[in-house]
Amino acid sequence: MQLYRAGIAAVAAVAMTALAACSGGSASGAKGHPSAAGHQGGTLTLLTLDNPGSVDTAINYGTAWAEENIVYDGLMAYQKTTGSAGNKLVPDLATAIPTPTDAAKTYAFHIRQHIRYSNGTTLKPSDVTNTFERMFKVHGPTAGAFYRGIAGAPACLAKPPTCDLSTGIVANDSANTVTFHLLAPDGEFLDKLALAFAFVVPSSAPNTDVGNNAMPGTGPYMFKQYTPNKQIKLVRNPYFKEWSPAAQPKGYPDTIVLAFGLPLEGAITEVENNQADAVVSAESLPADRLNELSTKYASRTHLNSATAIFYMALNVQVAPFNNIKVRQAVNYAADRNALVKIQGGPKLAVPSCQVLPPQFPGYQQYCPYTASPAPGGRGPWKAPDMAKARSLVAASGTKGQTVTIVNPNTPLGKSTGVYFEGLLNKLGYKASLKLLAPEVANTFVKDSRHKVQITTTIWYQDYQAASDFLVPLTGCAGFRPESGANANISEFCDHKSSADMDRALALQVRDPTAANQLWANIDREVTNQAPMVVMFNPKVVTFVSARVGNFKYNSQWGPLWDQTWVQ
Amino acid sequence: MTRVEPSEQVSLPTENAARPAAGGGPWILAGRRLSHNRSAMAAATLLAIIVAVTLLAPLYAHHVAHTDPFGSNLAGRTIVDGKHVDVLQQSGGLGLGVTPIGPTWDVHHYFLGADSEGRDVAARILYGGQASLLIAVGAALGSMLIASVLALVAGFFGGLVDTLLSRLMDILWAFPVFLLAILITTVSLTQGLRFGPISISTSGVVLPIVVIALIFVPFQYRPIRGQVLTVRERDFVKAAIVQGASARWLLWEEILPNVVNTLIVFLPLVMGINLLVESGLSFLGIGVQPPAASWGSIIGDSQNLLYTRPWVAMGPGIMIVLTVVGLNVLGDGVRDAFDPNVRRLVPAA
Amino acid sequence: MGTFIVRRTLWTLLVLISISVLVFLLFFSIPGIDPAVAMAGRNPDPATIRAISHAFGLDRALPIQYLLMMKHLFVTRDLQSYTNQGIRVIPEIAAAAPVTLSLVAGAVVLWLVFSIGIGLVAAVFRGRAIDRILMILGLIGIATPSFLLGEAANIVTQSKLHDTPLFHWVPPLGYTPLSQDPVMWFKHLIIPWVVLASAQFIGLYSRILRSSLLDVMHEDYVRTARAKGLSERRVLIRHVLRTSMITFVSLFGLDLGSLVGGGVVLIEVVFALPGVGLLTFQAASGLDLPVIMATIMYGAFFIVLANLLVDIGYTWLDPRIRPA
Repeated sequence: MQLYRAGIAAVAAVAMTALAACSGGSASGAKGHPSAAGHQGGTLTLLTLDNPGSVDTAINYGTAWAEENIVYDGLMAYQKTTGSAGNKLVPDLATAIPTPTDAAKTYAFHIRQHIRYSNGTTLKPSDVTNTFERMFKVHGPTAGAFYRGIAGAPACLAKPPTCDLSTGIVANDSANTVTFHLLAPDGEFLDKLALAFAFVVPSSAPNTDVGNNAMPGTGPYMFKQYTPNKQIKLVRNPYFKEWSPAAQPKGYPDTIVLAFGLPLEGAITEVENNQADAVVSAESLPADRLNELSTKYASRTHLNSATAIFYMALNVQVAPFNNIKVRQAVNYAADRNALVKIQGGPKLAVPSCQVLPPQFPGYQQYCPYTASPAPGGRGPWKAPDMAKARSLVAASGTKGQTVTIVNPNTPLGKSTGVYFEGLLNKLGYKASLKLLAPEVANTFVKDSRHKVQITTTIWYQDYQAASDFLVPLTGCAGFRPESGANANISEFCDHKSSADMDRALALQVRDPTAANQLWANIDREVTNQAPMVVMFNPKVVTFVSARVGNFKYNSQWGPLWDQTWVQ
Repeated sequence: MTRVEPSEQVSLPTENAARPAAGGGPWILAGRRLSHNRSAMAAATLLAIIVAVTLLAPLYAHHVAHTDPFGSNLAGRTIVDGKHVDVLQQSGGLGLGVTPIGPTWDVHHYFLGADSEGRDVAARILYGGQASLLIAVGAALGSMLIASVLALVAGFFGGLVDTLLSRLMDILWAFPVFLLAILITTVSLTQGLRFGPISISTSGVVLPIVVIALIFVPFQYRPIRGQVLTVRERDFVKAAIVQGASARWLLWEEILPNVVNTLIVFLPLVMGINLLVESGLSFLGIGVQPPAASWGSIIGDSQNLLYTRPWVAMGPGIMIVLTVVGLNVLGDGVRDAFDPNVRRLVPAA
Repeated sequence: MGTFIVRRTLWTLLVLISISVLVFLLFFSIPGIDPAVAMAGRNPDPATIRAISHAFGLDRALPIQYLLMMKHLFVTRDLQSYTNQGIRVIPEIAAAAPVTLSLVAGAVVLWLVFSIGIGLVAAVFRGRAIDRILMILGLIGIATPSFLLGEAANIVTQSKLHDTPLFHWVPPLGYTPLSQDPVMWFKHLIIPWVVLASAQFIGLYSRILRSSLLDVMHEDYVRTARAKGLSERRVLIRHVLRTSMITFVSLFGLDLGSLVGGGVVLIEVVFALPGVGLLTFQAASGLDLPVIMATIMYGAFFIVLANLLVDIGYTWLDPRIRPA
């Protein structure tokens, strides 16, 4: 997922995906309910810069997932816990994880009975069919990318208003079953059922973007209030009865408030003074304040790795980056130790050269673009190699060409833009920088008609699968020439690696381990082709009040706010 | 941003300013009056010093501070109290975040400290001054030129042309002026600035000059048109027209001298306003585009450093205030010099 | 009089319509920024983009699009933002307007009281030390960008002197509605009020008032009033001040209209007040046409209104214009 609207703190929750357990709070008494019973109740107040936009589950792309995942349920769920266990799929509205049949194209689910939405109606299997048809009817942003493999989906994409998935998703309300028929095997289908887009909503939900009038859900909380200029207020869903502590546990706070409008500076001060409980922000906290969080409030500052890459996309279709030597030269020249300072130093970002982030399926450390690389490149980045970069540029014969960097007008976009402008000038190019508002920049660089040469981009995971990075960012499928919808900003389409990706996707249905090895090979293949300059993998800082306990990070949803204690 | 109408701040020179007076032309006379005005002379000196200092920016950057004021210097090191240190220093404790070094008060090494890219703030303020002053002058001349041409056309032809132009200006007048500037700028930054086939680069100082010049046209148009009409209505001009005086005579001998006088009186004050508008736009990140800098954009870039490194914002801020004060005092002086009958806004200091 | 009002209203309408057309055309002069792409999210399917385009009417002819937008803004009042999905524009402005009104109202009180006071004192003591000091301070005020003064105030009250009794009461930046907590409302706004009033306004208005006071003091009717034996204070208040307020009031009206309409964007940015100016700025940055359209219309309305009121106030204030 690409991030934009930084400064408006849009993509709050998913920006904070993390793997490592945090430094404090999670050790004591979190396991069983009895010892934690005393922590039930209270109001958790989160501060963020701006409202997350529409909370329509089919439409919202990450800005409200931290709220949505405790209001709604999918058939599947990621275990609500920290660490690698947080990536484990468990059945949620389904009673069990089905074994696919029909050459891995059919998934038959039994749906739990007596589950009720917050409006009192009972969950029916036909709601599942309706949820997916609705996703196409409201033009869900991922309807095409993730769910076009369901039988009947291609027609829905072409003509949303008449979407009919009754052949692809067969619901039987009396037998309490839902059966999915896919057009081809999909090793990641169960993951896709656990995403927020696939959260099940009642059939009575309108087939239009509900905006801030949230739909009822089956989770432990419900949207009580959403005033776009003030706050979102979640309260307990009176009809919720815990059915699976792993998939959807009962929460601790009685009320969760997400208040908007306070700038980060003010938000940090309020949390320091314990007037609010946490700062939620997609962009990094102000450099001004990190020092005091680091020293004075170290015990309340949680540091977590994000499964994301910050990179410069190099457009391989236009000069000079259509020359592999030039792309490799920039990779050799980029001083990732310097770039890491943009994010706040080595504690907040880890230098990287490859597409996949650490701890991801298929990740094997690889960095050929460093001075004195490890054998076979299988080691960390150490230092830039300007000499090599210069000789590559000289060999490419592209010296003196003009390069325009198009970047978002955010602190990150500005700093990286100025850095690479200087670097490209040093390598002998005539570089200039063009800064656009974040929302505009995001749309602009994704439009392949604009032929943007180089831009700073961020990619966060949608879910933990190597394909979620490699396919959209470097696969032929993601590259759309002459189109406004080109996610593959590098416009990189190598038919060999793309064919490998298809093989890996097919392989992981039956042999995930072998598939991961293949993904690692593809990661190296693509990195060698250098369609991007990967700068670093970021970490995320969460600052909480003194009364917050049991702080837990989930790699999919970010902080599990329902699991934190405020008393 | 307040809406400041130059037309309201100064009283227009009345006709005696343009009429030849005893003892030399009006300009010589005005110059003589100006040179006797001590506060105006002090302001002129201050402005001259500011201009000179900003022009010396390359000298300072290359030969005194040995620094590149525009290039990223994230991994840079420097010398403080004889010790080599990082320009961007790591926090203690958990080690989150980096902080640029503060003022060293050593002209050779980061006199006013560094900004978040590790660049020398003092050198940037000097270069930023060049951009700010250039925009102030360029936009003032630009808007005056456009407004004068339109006003001359309107005043000269009168009738329908005048009505149409004046109504158009009235419509533009109703635009929230600073918001209009924001709108034009953001649109232009996306796709470049285009007037039909002509496309203008948005880097550097061109875009702010064009935008600020455009938004102030309606404000300058009104008084200049009034000036043109006043001249036309004068008895001896009317008489000359009746007697068949040529349009060229009317333009060159009667109207233009008056308009030019008005413009000269406006110039310093308009420059002051332009400087403030430019700094506001650049502060919002939509004025001068990086890596170029203006005083306003340096302040805008320093928002993340406001509390730890206040000098990054206050340094260019002081320069803005000094320059605008100088321009206002000089402007008052110029007006008094052209029209000694108008009472002065500023008491002689 | 009736025809005057009708003509004036028609003219106002024409101005507002022209402005909306100008904004619309300005926006559509940018090729390649398709709002539907922004709305379709990451890695969207081209079919999805077409569908969104159609749903929002973006595939229609420009004049139709314009009329559709006007209909959603003024008739059905359900215009939606392009970038902030699902969020309606009119409630957003309705929520932002009180913030800007609160900010401007307080600053106006300060700036009127201080500029009239300073203008009078300076005119009465013209040429003396107090006059010079006040006018120089005014000059510095005029020359100080509001955002700079605001940042300086933040440095002092939020950081450097925040832990002293002097500024310990200052809350973190932001806004609290008057209806929710009047004390917090006041605490949040007092520093922005002072900054907004002192950067430019007090200085400008006191200088203008002083100079028109000095002009008027020499007018015939003032001399007559003096000759009739009225006390100096009575002359000053009844005759001089009233006439001198003409320039003052006309400028004031225009400034007020512009500020209420969103001209305070810089102060709103510096003090994180979610007002109309900030809303317009964010919308303009994101090229969010529906919000830009609505906020610019809102701002232009106040400016046109202010122009009208100034014209009326003019005739009322100036004894030379007033019919006998």
